[in-house]
Amino acid sequence: MVAIIEKRDLRDFDWLTAVLAIAISCFGVWQIHNALPTDNYWSKQIIGIGIALVAFLVVAFSDFRRIVDYAPVFFVIGLVLLALVVTPLGVEVNGQKAWLRLPLIGQFQPSEFMKIPTVLMLAKYFGARKGGPLTLRETIIGGLIFAAPLGLILLEPDAGQAITYFPIFAAVLFISGIKFRYVVIAIVATAIMVQTAWFVGVKYGKIKRYQQERLLAITNPDEVDPRGYGYHTIQSTITVGKGGLAGIQGDPETSQSVLKFLPEPQTDFIFAVTAENSGFIGCVSLLLAYALLLSRMIAGARQSSDRASLLVIMSVVCGMVFQIFMNVGMAEGFLPVIGVPLPLMSAGLSAILTTFIAIGFVVSIKMRRFVN
Amino acid sequence: MKLNDQVQNLGARIWTIQVLAFILLTLLGVRLYYLQITKGAYYAERAENQRVRLIPIPAPRGAIFDRNGKILVDSRPTYNVVLSNEPLKSLDLPSRVNDYAAGLSMDRQFVIERLNLIKKQNDFETMVLKENATMQDIAWVEAHSVEFPELLIELQPQRFYPLGTVLSHVLGYVGEISPAQLENPEFKEKGFRPGDIIGKGGLEQYYDEYLRGRPGYRKVIVDSRGRVQSEIARVPPQAGMDLVTTIDLDLQMAAEQQLDASATKRGTIIAMDPNNGELFAMASHPAYDPNVFIQGTSKPEGRKQIAAYWQDEKRPLYNRAIQGRYPPGSTWKIPEYVGALEEGVITPQKSNVACGGGITIGNKFTRCMGNHGAPPLDHAITVSCDGYAYHLALKMGIEGIIKMIQTFQFDKPTGIDLPNEKVSQTPKSWMPWILKHEGKWSDIRTVYASIGQDTVVVTPISMLRAISSVGMQGKMYTPHFLKEFKSISAIGEDGDPNYIPAREGFTYQHPAPVIVPMNDDQYHIMLRGMWGVVQEAGTAASIRMPGWEIAGKTGTAQVSELGSGGAKDHAWFDSFAPAYKPEISVVALIENSGFGAANAAPAAKGMYEAYLAKRDPNKPIITKDEAVGSGKK
Repeated sequence: MVAIIEKRDLRDFDWLTAVLAIAISCFGVWQIHNALPTDNYWSKQIIGIGIALVAFLVVAFSDFRRIVDYAPVFFVIGLVLLALVVTPLGVEVNGQKAWLRLPLIGQFQPSEFMKIPTVLMLAKYFGARKGGPLTLRETIIGGLIFAAPLGLILLEPDAGQAITYFPIFAAVLFISGIKFRYVVIAIVATAIMVQTAWFVGVKYGKIKRYQQERLLAITNPDEVDPRGYGYHTIQSTITVGKGGLAGIQGDPETSQSVLKFLPEPQTDFIFAVTAENSGFIGCVSLLLAYALLLSRMIAGARQSSDRASLLVIMSVVCGMVFQIFMNVGMAEGFLPVIGVPLPLMSAGLSAILTTFIAIGFVVSIKMRRFVN
Repeated sequence: MKLNDQVQNLGARIWTIQVLAFILLTLLGVRLYYLQITKGAYYAERAENQRVRLIPIPAPRGAIFDRNGKILVDSRPTYNVVLSNEPLKSLDLPSRVNDYAAGLSMDRQFVIERLNLIKKQNDFETMVLKENATMQDIAWVEAHSVEFPELLIELQPQRFYPLGTVLSHVLGYVGEISPAQLENPEFKEKGFRPGDIIGKGGLEQYYDEYLRGRPGYRKVIVDSRGRVQSEIARVPPQAGMDLVTTIDLDLQMAAEQQLDASATKRGTIIAMDPNNGELFAMASHPAYDPNVFIQGTSKPEGRKQIAAYWQDEKRPLYNRAIQGRYPPGSTWKIPEYVGALEEGVITPQKSNVACGGGITIGNKFTRCMGNHGAPPLDHAITVSCDGYAYHLALKMGIEGIIKMIQTFQFDKPTGIDLPNEKVSQTPKSWMPWILKHEGKWSDIRTVYASIGQDTVVVTPISMLRAISSVGMQGKMYTPHFLKEFKSISAIGEDGDPNYIPAREGFTYQHPAPVIVPMNDDQYHIMLRGMWGVVQEAGTAASIRMPGWEIAGKTGTAQVSELGSGGAKDHAWFDSFAPAYKPEISVVALIENSGFGAANAAPAAKGMYEAYLAKRDPNKPIITKDEAVGSGKK
């Protein structure tokens, strides 16, 4: 592969973005190790990062526009895989069928990967349009592209994963020039619908008791049963707070995750582990690294040569920002417990691979921005 | 692509997203600052509180020895199956009842009771499910640690009474502090907690503070299920202090044997050193086995046995020596006559009082056992002349008798170092009741009181103390069991936060003896009479022992109306020996057995034989002749 990499490629390669992404993921490995030092999640994650890096380089050095051309193919394959999840081929974990076990490839999470074809498909459709305000017809067709994977994911059901698709679609619509008044209407409508859904849901028992408790744990953490459904939120808050300025020095044997007070420390609550072990300094550094990475990506978007590239980068950016905010907000105890992985940090091959591929597109786009 | 060319303000839209992203990240940072910097210490403490547990290590109780160092009570290790509080909270306990009952071979009903108890008390670390776990129980718990993580095995030093029923009333027993005691401010102050073992009855209760050790603890890290992960610190417990008693186990065994051999097997024998109040033996029958209270509470048979003890109308749990109140019969004459001498109603020189074969009060004649003419005091004692007592009592008046009661402190507890001592009832205590219900104190009551009947019911210990004082020419000591508490060394270094200071040993602090005024003449005439009871043709001449002069007084206390066919009389024998230089005093009371001379005196003799068997043969025995000269009367 090196042979086909031209000098210009290396010159234009966005080293900073690549290094930041790798650095954050390595930091993540360390935290996964901190979370459960005796388990092998951290070593698996290193393998995952290795695989992800290969994929990253392949994507980064491919011609992005040709990939976009093939977007419908990827999109259909993705939909088929998602559909397979709800068939007996799917693997059920904790009451959710989010996993697929295929021969040779092994077990993976199609809903995670499906973000990529969805982004590409949306970019292909909205990138082809001319300027001017978004029409209703375009919005509906875009909505159908978005609704197809979303519907299949909700069948699993995996609400946490499904929710991460919304910022992608929102970014696409926003960048494609949806009128500001629709944006305002959408925000207001969302606010009203969330409230209405809550009251109706509670009244008719559609929102289960444990789901209510999880929200109560956020609004009134001192009043809910600390051993009940507020447990995750309370323990995560304690874990984050315990880290203090510089984190616990040594003594990992008494950490919240090792003593199993903190649930899912290597995935959903990896930020709490980071907070406990690296303290305020470590966490702020991590947030700054994310900010820098996102800035680099947005800068790339500003320089992109076509609309499709711009859409891809901005939907990746929005998707990442949303996931970071949901995940860290949950760890900090002010957002409800929804299983959204922290990009580049949470253990999991599907997630790390997807994120690196997405960043690979960004790097690829920046590298070829002068090719016209 | 020129962003500015676009109609839709693409540049502004990208900028909006960027700003929004930074606002969200900043929000996360601000919240982080609040949790980690502002409230970091608070959360660190909360985290510590939920992972650090203090597990108490029970302290072994001090052992109890007899005066020669023989073990009376000690502790030995046993294993308990306990329920740990932490995992319990998320458990459906009723569903475990059958598993526990089957696995630990326990009564299902008992398991349910224990679990109900646990539900009521939230504030505990562990709760005993089964005491004295067998090897099979331990193996079962270990094998099922995954299914039942709430079950743990705990080492517990357990009280063991190797003598069984012997000395049970004196030793008492131990048990878990009761919920009522926990509420009691006296116990609350001392920081008792549920599950603490405290003394219940006897020396175990009276000296609980010293016998009880100070528990140590293990400071451990637990995981979210309460399973111990590692130990941070261990503070060893400080054992309780060892108690050396004044008991002589050989004499105690003799006392037990005498009661076993007695007619009714009910009664009490107490032996004391009249020179200082040290108690050699105290037996009360029927007795109970304290081990039943230690090991039996978790077993249905044990609990049945405990219930039987409580319900038994022979009252085996009751220490007759200090809690039983009996009419003293003729033994009462000894303190009474000392009182008469002290008050000057009679003098050693002029002590003759008419017997008259009895006395007539109103139209009722109360008879004496014989007709003794007008005997002097010593002869009246030796033959136990009731007529003498009747007439003398009327001379003294009830006021005189009450004065004597105060002199010998029958109106107070003796101050023995045992809990729940009863105070004797006497004309002094009955007086207000009689005056209220009968208007006046009639002479017949004075007559009955003169021979230790009717309004006179005394504890054997108070009687022994009074009689012993005559042998000591009026020095009345406080009976006690404590000889010495052995000191115990400190735990840890001084200044250490977990330092437990050493406890100094100490010996019994003798209160000053109560003085019953008695001059030489008074002493000699009393002694002459009591010496005669055994040594001359007195009421207890049958127990005369060559070379060992006993001074004593028999008593046959009427329990029911004469001729009513009711229960037989209580037999008493109060004594000390050698008469003129006492080394040991003995009281024997055999309930409902009949004559004192026939039933109680031989029991006392048995005690003296046991004492002599141990006594240094080279130590001279003072006889009456040596003490007062053979010529003197």
